[in-house]
Amino acid sequence: MPALSIGFEVHQPYRLNRHFAPDPKIKRKDLLNLYFDEINRELLLRVAEKCYIPATTQVLEMMDAGFSCAFSFSGTLIEQVEKWSPDSLALFEQVAAHRNAEILAQTYYHSIASCFHDKTEFTEQVRMHANLMRDLFHADPAVFENTEFTFNNEIATHIKDMGFAGIFTEGVDRILGWRSPDYLYTCRDIPVLLRNTQLSDDIAFRFTNRSWDMYPLTADTYAKWVAQSSGDVVNVFLDYESFGEHLWSDTGIFDFLRHLPEELSAQGVSTILPSKVLADYSPVGTIDVTETISWADIEKDTSAWMGNDRQRAAFFALQTAHAYSKDKQVWRYLQTSDHFYYMASKFGSCGEVHSYFCYLEGEDAFKTYMRILADYEERNIRTMKNRKAAKALRTLSPENAFHFASPAGYIGYTAYNLDQFCELLHIVPRDSIQHHLERGDFTFWIRDVLGDTHLAESIKECTERQELTNLVCEWRERLWSHLK
Amino acid sequence: MEGTTVESLKIAIFCWESLYAERVGGLARAATHLAETLAMSHEVHFFTRGWIQDQTIKGVQYHYCQPGGNNMVEYCDSMSYGMVENFHRFDKNRKFDYLHFNDWHAVQALHILQDRNTILTFHSTEYGRNGNQFGDWWEFKEISGKEWYGGLIAKRVTAVSATLKNEVMQLYNVPDWKCDVVPNGVVPREFRAEIDAGKVKQAYGIHPFAPLILFIGRLVYQKGPDLLIEAVRKVCQNHWDAKVIVAGTGDMRQFLAERAKDLPVNFIGYIPDSEYVRLLNACDLVVIPSRNEPFGLVLLEAWSAEKGVVASNVGGLSENIDAFVDGVKVEPDPDSLAWGINSMMDDPKNAIALGKRGRKKVDRMFLWGPIGGKITETYSRVVA
Repeated sequence: MPALSIGFEVHQPYRLNRHFAPDPKIKRKDLLNLYFDEINRELLLRVAEKCYIPATTQVLEMMDAGFSCAFSFSGTLIEQVEKWSPDSLALFEQVAAHRNAEILAQTYYHSIASCFHDKTEFTEQVRMHANLMRDLFHADPAVFENTEFTFNNEIATHIKDMGFAGIFTEGVDRILGWRSPDYLYTCRDIPVLLRNTQLSDDIAFRFTNRSWDMYPLTADTYAKWVAQSSGDVVNVFLDYESFGEHLWSDTGIFDFLRHLPEELSAQGVSTILPSKVLADYSPVGTIDVTETISWADIEKDTSAWMGNDRQRAAFFALQTAHAYSKDKQVWRYLQTSDHFYYMASKFGSCGEVHSYFCYLEGEDAFKTYMRILADYEERNIRTMKNRKAAKALRTLSPENAFHFASPAGYIGYTAYNLDQFCELLHIVPRDSIQHHLERGDFTFWIRDVLGDTHLAESIKECTERQELTNLVCEWRERLWSHLK
Repeated sequence: MEGTTVESLKIAIFCWESLYAERVGGLARAATHLAETLAMSHEVHFFTRGWIQDQTIKGVQYHYCQPGGNNMVEYCDSMSYGMVENFHRFDKNRKFDYLHFNDWHAVQALHILQDRNTILTFHSTEYGRNGNQFGDWWEFKEISGKEWYGGLIAKRVTAVSATLKNEVMQLYNVPDWKCDVVPNGVVPREFRAEIDAGKVKQAYGIHPFAPLILFIGRLVYQKGPDLLIEAVRKVCQNHWDAKVIVAGTGDMRQFLAERAKDLPVNFIGYIPDSEYVRLLNACDLVVIPSRNEPFGLVLLEAWSAEKGVVASNVGGLSENIDAFVDGVKVEPDPDSLAWGINSMMDDPKNAIALGKRGRKKVDRMFLWGPIGGKITETYSRVVA
């Protein structure tokens, strides 16, 4: 008979201010109010009322009766409940102190820093989170759960080196092949707990689906399914907000939760904590994850955050913003995965999931993000040593970016900084480049927006793409060497 | 492939066109991108024609010659001699490991250098370019002769699709063991742009929400534009708002325009690359009604832009499309084509899904990196 290990991801991002406009008069200490939306408070209060308070009250009762489960709180959530919902925080503190609960580790900012080329930022955020858990909950997490279960060999190695005993990720079919996710595996010598996608999505996504042949799902059916697994341990991991927020209480989700422990024990299934899984079971095999996987959508990869060109543009701009991040806090808030999720342009069933989570359309989300990132960098230039280089290399808002065009109009390529401009010089059709060269647009943009008169002067005489590309790319490298 | 490209090779590529000098058609793009890919781990010299100074771009060293001649065949021979002359200048200290020729134009150079490790890539054959027919004029015979001779003396031959490989094997008696299939690649970003489709459509006087079908290619019999025109007549009975843009030019244009007088078809003639990118990303469906297509680069370009494709079930198109997974395959006749277009337009959501899966296939199979690996594998099979 398998054991059931159930875990909850508790997270809220700081959503960006949709109506953001640069305002030089605003002082640095008020920046957070300028960048982030007032709606955050409202949404948090709504989630607290509908989910955190009722669900946690119920889970506490269940835990008193012997049910055990794991919680993973993001740092941005904890900040918000500290500010706006002390009641929720008090309940979370009770959870953390409970003998049947386990607190998991994650990145403080629920960030995509684990995908950065340079992993120091990721390591730093994991440390920050561990410190928060220690200070607030007196907990010392032993098992790590990365943002949306993002995982690959490299992340596994990192987490092992940081001294964690185990790590969660998704039980992705193409990684496992014929093998079952319901066992313990290792990856690069660190034990890996694999989420059972089917049984997790049965609750998170299919619970209210009336066209599902198993609708309505009841606790006894679900317990039977768990019992039928031939593995050692079934890992179910859910967004905590599923209880009451994504699935409203009138769907019966709380009744389902309330009856789950008794139905599980009727089937002889016991619940188990992740660290206990690591202690009680030994790994049955190894997995090798060269691509980056996650629990997102049906693709189970990073395409939910880095699937389209605007997401990638934002992601690279975010990484280069490191050089401007004297004030790290805002930069880190901007790393939260949700911002990138909002920029997605997916469709179909996962598009529907997206649309529920997204409060503004992908394009708007992207523009807002770039405007704020641009403003943030601009403000930090003042404090930097080489201001000229910093100004030329900074990320721009959509209004200042270079939009490539032909005589017929915009052709769909935009450079948000000099790095992207260099890259696009190789990609953009030749006739568009010729068009801009003839009009002198490149010179104007580099002189007036990037403020680099030297480069503007030197490309003035260019007539060919190749010459231009060489000049710009060489100069860009020089500028970067000044910054580093 | 891992392990096969550890040592750095010295490679010579011969092609009569390149992206940064004389450029004629799709071959320039394919040869240049292949050279740039190989140059990431090897020393690559590109011998071509052009009236500019030799230059190095993205690690590829371009050497230009300036041929002349009274006809195509003479011109290409003259070019071959120029290429060989340039070749010897750079063959002195370290000898070239592999010599890679593209199509028949440089076969005379292949002849002179036949003792070396030579590879000949077929992108098409004269027979195919002539609409799967033999010609009786002297250029046809001369060029076919060069293709046969190239296939005979080259140490290794590659073709861009299995169909073309069969064609080459049958026409020119190239033995099976000597011939590999290495498809063309694509740089998806060159064709994928984030653009407001409605605005582009409006620029052509089309309603932003009207479904737009795009055809791009030379207007010649081989590409089947006449099949599309006849199919549109039937499509309009189901979709009154459908609009068609035919981009490209050719000797059939007058005839086609005449046939399409009463149809919502706009012949826009030759368009620059930037306009192609705009249209490709604005349209709802790309149609490739070719009668013969050794590879069909437009397919990869449409997939790069995540567009649904209705294509003839011929040649490379037939090999690369999985029916109803990433595109719709039809017979090269108007009825079948109309059925395919209707099936896509009846279910636009599905058309998008097919396009997205096409893009996934591109990312999996048609990026230049892995294709460069395949080519070096072919190099390693050369038996001198």
